Amino acid sequence: MGHPEDVKAYRFAEHGGEVELELEAPTAAGIFEAAVAALAELVSAGADGEPARRELELRGEDPALLLVDTLNELVYLGEVEGFVPERLEAVELAGGRLRATVAGRRGRARPLVKAVTLNSLELAQEEGSWHGRVVLDV
Amino acid sequence: MDASSSTSDRHRLVRLDESLWEIPARARADMRVPARVFADDELVAALAGDRSLEQLENVATLPGIVEAALAMPDVHQGYGFPVGGVAAMELPDGVVSPGGVGYDINCGVRLLALPLGERELGARREALVHELSRAVPAGAGREGPLELAAAELDGVLREGPRALVARGVGREDDLERTESGGRLPGADPAAVSARARERGRGQLGTVGSGNHFVEVQRVDRVFDRDAAAAFGLAEGQVTVLIHSGSRGLGHQVCTDHVRTMDAAGRRYGIELPDRQLACAPASSPEGRAYLGAMAAAANFAFANRHALAHAVRGAVERVLGASAAAGTRQVYDVAHNVAKVERHGGRDLLVHRKGATRAFPAGSPELPDAYRGAGQPVFIPGSMGTASFVLAGLPGSLERSFGSACHGAGRALSRTAARKRIGGAELRRTLEAQGIVVRCASNKGLAEEAPFAYKDVERVVEVVERAGLAGRVARLVPIGVVKG
Repeated sequence: MGHPEDVKAYRFAEHGGEVELELEAPTAAGIFEAAVAALAELVSAGADGEPARRELELRGEDPALLLVDTLNELVYLGEVEGFVPERLEAVELAGGRLRATVAGRRGRARPLVKAVTLNSLELAQEEGSWHGRVVLDV
Repeated sequence: MDASSSTSDRHRLVRLDESLWEIPARARADMRVPARVFADDELVAALAGDRSLEQLENVATLPGIVEAALAMPDVHQGYGFPVGGVAAMELPDGVVSPGGVGYDINCGVRLLALPLGERELGARREALVHELSRAVPAGAGREGPLELAAAELDGVLREGPRALVARGVGREDDLERTESGGRLPGADPAAVSARARERGRGQLGTVGSGNHFVEVQRVDRVFDRDAAAAFGLAEGQVTVLIHSGSRGLGHQVCTDHVRTMDAAGRRYGIELPDRQLACAPASSPEGRAYLGAMAAAANFAFANRHALAHAVRGAVERVLGASAAAGTRQVYDVAHNVAKVERHGGRDLLVHRKGATRAFPAGSPELPDAYRGAGQPVFIPGSMGTASFVLAGLPGSLERSFGSACHGAGRALSRTAARKRIGGAELRRTLEAQGIVVRCASNKGLAEEAPFAYKDVERVVEVVERAGLAGRVARLVPIGVVKG
């Protein structure tokens, strides 16, 4: 399950050419929520269409790759279906499976993010907190 | 010491000559070959600000790499490979790395020369830029002018722009003035996923976002009159430079195959310092599938720039008349992000160019007849507000860089840092005060591509010339830009 929004965070780290996300949260699910919030900040500028939702269900044994797959799914939905994400809700992350709802809007996503890379990819728990790192190709 | 750690004192560059530096292979236990950088003192000093040298060292660990992992003078930090990187792997069993080509497969540039000078263009300049902004969809995803049925898309993936000429888009003589004739061999449409097709289906003839653009220019200075004459360029002439790639189709091809290689690499016993370098032997099923899909995406990108050029001719016709459109000639089209099988030093090599340009010298049989005496045209876009250069490949490229040169000025500042330095509206006013007509939907995107976010293109080009990779032919200055 998720957790209160005020305890998860994302930051755009300095990167010479691309966009690097640094993510912190009390739970692994919170990392996914923070990553989607960061992506939304990048692509949602000016999106003012009707509210919309998408259900996600993704599988994978490697949680870091599952995080990449989640963001790539949203890049795809933005480009093909005109779905602009705002936040991730009702996250269930267990047994190599992610289930979640993405709240967003219909509209034109800012076409900034080409893909989510495996460069410097991290998702790990340290001292009771989870942290993640993802580099986006822009 | 952790082989992948990054500390500036570890990158002990040894100067080999005035424009070439080396990190010896002994610098890290996992490096198979040295890492070499074409640069001058100032460009080398700038590398301390990012992780491009660490990334170049990582490339030097890849199985099958020969001679050296190379960085062009415009190198900057990328993901996996540095941008401005060149790596040649010996075939058949050296690896292919989708990340070593990049997500925007065959991102590249195409230069068109108009049959008129800036004086003749005169007051119609703003109208031309405005019409170009209407004719070439920029920024958003799926509103290209050429919606293709599935079979037609297969034709583009297999044949590149040749498939469009049959539909009346572009001209036959454009094809021979395109790298590899606009068609990489071995393209396999079946290796392109349904998701990649879906992303690319409506995007043919669109510019995209980021650093992609269509720029109207004036030939400001000619350095090499013979080569300029061969390329059909003269001082004062109006040109249009198109920078775009394979759009969502290419991005998805790379995404798909990086994941496949990430899983496959372990089966082949490949250990990597960065997962984004995911790779497999070129001769393996995974390697062959990627190369087939990459060639198809590259053909799509050639076709995309071909369709954009067709749209530019349409805009020229509406503003300047049918005669000007008919006389608008393609100078050349070069790829920035591809892996190609080439023969160097008596060996068949798979040359990865990630943000680098092929730069074959005069006499190369791969060049069109008209350019065989001059060398391959190489285009080095500057940043908005600064000059771009036309160069011609020199023999040194075959001797020192697997026939390669740089592809641009190279980023010097992150996008965030650029936005902190200037707002998009202010930059727009600055450019317009310089006499450059700007059309860009996003002020934020405009600021990220501010001129000061890039290295000095004149310095980068000087190093390329001094290193003997390519020689200056002409300098182009912007008079209007449509930004993605």
